[in-house]
Amino acid sequence: MSHVNEHAHPVTGPKTYGLVLLALLVLTVITVQASYFDFGPWNTVVALLIASAKGSLVALFFMHLRHDKFNAVIFVGGLLFLAVFLIWTLFDIATRQPVLPSNLKTPVQEFPGAPLGAPVRPSTGQPRGTPAL
Amino acid sequence: MSTATPSAHAHAEHGHTPFLQHHFREMSQQFDAARIGMWLFLVTEVLLFGGLFVGYGIMHARHPEAFVAAHHHLDKTLGALNTVVLLVSSFTMVLSVWAAQTSRKKLLVLFLLLTLACAGTFMVVKYFEYSHKFHEGLLPGKYYSHKGDTVPGQFLFFSFYFMMTGLHGIHVLLGMAAIAWLVVRALKGHFSSQYYSPVEITGLYWHLVDLIWIYLFPLMYLIS
Repeated sequence: MSHVNEHAHPVTGPKTYGLVLLALLVLTVITVQASYFDFGPWNTVVALLIASAKGSLVALFFMHLRHDKFNAVIFVGGLLFLAVFLIWTLFDIATRQPVLPSNLKTPVQEFPGAPLGAPVRPSTGQPRGTPAL
Repeated sequence: MSTATPSAHAHAEHGHTPFLQHHFREMSQQFDAARIGMWLFLVTEVLLFGGLFVGYGIMHARHPEAFVAAHHHLDKTLGALNTVVLLVSSFTMVLSVWAAQTSRKKLLVLFLLLTLACAGTFMVVKYFEYSHKFHEGLLPGKYYSHKGDTVPGQFLFFSFYFMMTGLHGIHVLLGMAAIAWLVVRALKGHFSSQYYSPVEITGLYWHLVDLIWIYLFPLMYLIS
């Protein structure tokens, strides 16, 4: 039985894991240092790229995904759904204008029958200045 | 094959380990099934935290000034310290998996205890961070009572801070319970190169907790 286990799941030694830990600590120092630089709108992107490099090291070595294609597909599949969730939401956030009269391309009727583009008294739709009913 | 019943055949061949459940054909099948189950669970965890990350992204995009101003209340040094502590704990956890794979019982117990010690350190640091924020009134939503803010809306950041680090902290505590259970079983001599699924899948869970913190740390402590 043991040869089956060792064949399916190769044993990685402490040396490799030590090097991975070293790389993770170096990347932690880099991400802290990078936070003192201003990349403008790319600040968060840089932070997330470094975090993803660290995450990949953890998943590939500590979680053994480099020897485990089947579970890698499960995990990456989950990450893809998360990416759709996140990216499509950010599309909306990035392209949405606040709803102000000055942002509207065509005059909008406040309700059917109200004068187009003219200032109205919101409660009745009558032109401003007319006495209230 | 036609004469022997399958179960009798399996027990005769693999009867040397008491940890093979009767519904599995052999140890490697049981091991693979345990790992697939754990990975599916980890995907649900990713989506659970993913919802919070997306909410954080929306609110950060809408109120960038409030988030930047609020994150100055966090201590970068303590955050970095906790990051290092968790990375080291992931390292000791993977070494305990290695010790189990190579049937080194004493090293297995040692590395599990080191992992527990790191997890405990993480929670102690978190305790000091939280109590400092409670004291300053840096609380989520309507409980926010910090005085002297120049930028409005900082309570939003702390809503996400406490939800995300709180949920993560609960995961650390559950991981500690699982590792403590592994220590007990390791001391009883249950684990060897023949059977170490619990060590492996607890390791997977523990690395995911580390993985989530790897993203939480820059998003909470290092935004600018």
